Amino acid sequence: MSAFLITLLLSSIVVYFLSKASWKVGALLNIAISLFALFYVFTVDVGTTEKIGNFFGQNLVLQWTNVSFYFSLVSLLVIISVMIFSLKWLESQKYKASFNMFLLMVTASSIGVFAAGDLLTLYIFWEIAVLSSLLIVPMGKKGSRKASVQYAVMSAVGTYMFIYGAFLLMQRYGTLRLPEISRHLISDQSMGFKLAIFLLLVAAGVAKSGIFPLHTWLRTAHGKAPDAFSAVLSGQLTKLGSYIFTVSVAVVPSLKIFSDLTVYSGVPLPNYILIILGNISIIIGTLMAIKQDDMKMLIALSSVANGGYILIGLSTVDPLGFEGGMFHILNHALASAVIFMAFAAVVYRTKTTKISEMGGLIHKMPVTFLVYLFSIISLAGIPPMSGFISKWMIYQALVRKGMFITAFVAFFGSIGSFLYVFRPLAGVFLGQLPKKYKDVKEAPFIMLTPMVLLVLLSLFLGVWPFPVLQRIEDIRMDLGITPSFKIVEIDKWLIKGFAGSWDPVVVFSLFMTGFIVAYILYSLFPRPKKVDLLAPHEKEGTPVNIYTGGEFIYNPDLYHFNTRFYAGFERMYEKHPSWEKVLNMFAKFFHDIGEWIHSWFFKPSPSVYTLWMIVTILLVFWVRW
Amino acid sequence: MAFYKALFNLVFAFFLVVSLEGIARKIVARVQRRIGPPWYQNFIDIFKALSKHPFSNGWIFDFGVIMALGGSIATAMLMPLGSLKWTPFPNTDNFFVIAYLFTVGALGMAMGMVGSGNPWASIGISRALTQMLGYELPFLVTMSSVIYNYKTASIHQLINLQSDKWNLFSMPLAGIVAFISLIGMMGKKPFDIAIAPAEIASGPMVELSGKYLGLLQIMHDFSLFSEISLFVNIFLGGGSLGWFLVKFVIVWVLAVLISSVLPRFRIEQMLKFYWGVPLGLAFLNALLVLLGWTF
Repeated sequence: MSAFLITLLLSSIVVYFLSKASWKVGALLNIAISLFALFYVFTVDVGTTEKIGNFFGQNLVLQWTNVSFYFSLVSLLVIISVMIFSLKWLESQKYKASFNMFLLMVTASSIGVFAAGDLLTLYIFWEIAVLSSLLIVPMGKKGSRKASVQYAVMSAVGTYMFIYGAFLLMQRYGTLRLPEISRHLISDQSMGFKLAIFLLLVAAGVAKSGIFPLHTWLRTAHGKAPDAFSAVLSGQLTKLGSYIFTVSVAVVPSLKIFSDLTVYSGVPLPNYILIILGNISIIIGTLMAIKQDDMKMLIALSSVANGGYILIGLSTVDPLGFEGGMFHILNHALASAVIFMAFAAVVYRTKTTKISEMGGLIHKMPVTFLVYLFSIISLAGIPPMSGFISKWMIYQALVRKGMFITAFVAFFGSIGSFLYVFRPLAGVFLGQLPKKYKDVKEAPFIMLTPMVLLVLLSLFLGVWPFPVLQRIEDIRMDLGITPSFKIVEIDKWLIKGFAGSWDPVVVFSLFMTGFIVAYILYSLFPRPKKVDLLAPHEKEGTPVNIYTGGEFIYNPDLYHFNTRFYAGFERMYEKHPSWEKVLNMFAKFFHDIGEWIHSWFFKPSPSVYTLWMIVTILLVFWVRW
Repeated sequence: MAFYKALFNLVFAFFLVVSLEGIARKIVARVQRRIGPPWYQNFIDIFKALSKHPFSNGWIFDFGVIMALGGSIATAMLMPLGSLKWTPFPNTDNFFVIAYLFTVGALGMAMGMVGSGNPWASIGISRALTQMLGYELPFLVTMSSVIYNYKTASIHQLINLQSDKWNLFSMPLAGIVAFISLIGMMGKKPFDIAIAPAEIASGPMVELSGKYLGLLQIMHDFSLFSEISLFVNIFLGGGSLGWFLVKFVIVWVLAVLISSVLPRFRIEQMLKFYWGVPLGLAFLNALLVLLGWTF
């Protein structure tokens, strides 16, 4: 396994130099290597453990579990799609070679994170993943450098807390191996220490998957990053955070560790901290997404909300909730990757991400529209797409535990998601086409292929989720989340929760029947006369072909309505408190201190420099003696 | 067998709701001291609309109408009619599945109507979606507490469990909240904000003509059927198909009577109302259920 990871990391350098010669060859090699990785992931036996090094007497270990397999699979699915997508898309970019290299590095290091058997190995691969993704973000549009700084800072807050927690553990137990840590923690008496460790380890996940209070980087980083890379950021890299949650909630079993604290309806109290953070994330993500005018930022904020779902699902440590959270990881990865790729295709053709500047693109890019449509159906959790199944399982868990407030928040996020996913649908794809996009063409075939494939996969899993659910049940058994029998009855095509069951095949066939009946009814009656929806300027002298209260309007302006779509609702929370403002206040504070120090100590005059040199030298001497 | 039951659902739903809509026009007319059209007027309206030559605004407009109708048909086919005997798919009548199937129709309609390019339609859709955020939250919270209480989300089981006493009496708060949400779901006054003919020229329907109008009316009828059936099944469950019909008509007439005397809310007023009283009551009910205090 170590040979595999090292090969992957080293080949990224090969890819860099190859891409310098021809970026297409580099991209193809990327795909080939990732496909090999996909193949490899399937061949590794669960339970394989491998020692890769030594650090102050600590063994660095790779360990392949069902969890590693699942997360690696999700990551590779997203990354390979983006790699295929960028075979064409990359030609619009400036830094092709570095993009190829860092993308492969992200792949390698992510698999490394999932395969890590101890906290230090995890940390090392984690930092490689952060660093390589960090260096892709500034290749994007204007403002992306600042975004990457924000990303770096937020990520650092999380990882430093994580590594601090890891060192605390090492100091106390002298080991960093995950199984040993959980064994020690279960028998440990000091509740404060356990709580501190739990929160410190979780912090990295909070930062990475954009959970409140460290969610603010998602908006800028996803929004400003290179368009195709946003798909990786949202579809894959936030899943590293979900992995940390899985580790700190279930691999190191919080249920057993905190069993002597009050366990309220089957959930240990510290997990409620995570659930509350998840709730806040859902509310903030949803409300902020509804307001966005930038389509990429909109979906970035929806990732905050979906991260909240995953966190809530995992933290309930309930069989249904945990499995729902796990499945939601895959569903959100598929949906958000397709959405960001669809946006990248739109930007590739129109060069803008502002919803208010677009409209009517459906007539030019119908396939892109359709993949976007199916993905938002999945993202909003509507059957028959797979997104529904995971949300359903999470609801079941919440209702079973009687966690009504969290259930309320989950419902709020789910219905709010109809509101925000509809904005780009209406603003970008529907309505009248602005004149400047008159010659826009459909995205190239090679860009459409991965999107269509992922959408088909998501639809397939919505109708036939059993292979994935089976895998997830294996994970749950491995992690010992009771009961130790299958709770989702997969046989007989039924998905059984605690309260009622449903059959995805029946629901899908009902859908098809509904559509067929509707289509038959539609085609029974007289054929419509097609009316042009063209903007009036394209046909001088003809009135607008939409109802305007009986007035004939020859005005060259468009009637497309896409700014402040939910004005009535947005007015209700216009003056809301903003966490971003609080953080900006801190940033300004530190900036001002820096300026002040700078003005005192770094005055651009030779005498001050000399003074500080002398002081420094004296200090060095003083320390030396 | 399930297929015939589902088919029966559709036929039943169509004739029931369209006649009831005609009766509602009669009732509203009487409240306003008018005579009103005959009870079969809505049949005439629908078939007349269907027979006319329409105008279409492009393929997404057509597709939106088909999706809206298809989604509402799928939901109506899944709906139990008051007893296990009249439950087409006993394994799949899960509450959450039905609640989310509704939204397919809503999404299809929203997409098609915004595809017409008319700003009135967009405003109407934005209002409709906002309204959904209003009424769905109290409704879902209430339903969660009911499901928590009975440990089942299967509608036919919920029906069976209240064969001796209706949920409306064992959980009165839940019944009240669900009824208020039901009026919002049906888009009756005071929650007809999305349609509001005087303000936004019928909103989503502004560009519809001929068969499109007819098909969307049928879609609306199927949705009404599913919404009211859901309420009847969950809060007035038990009995035979005949009793189901009686309860259905009573709920419908009550909703029509209430809506015929009320003016329209503004969008913020609607949200503040739903997130105020009904949501508060829903949480109160949830608390009572958690404590086990049901009658």
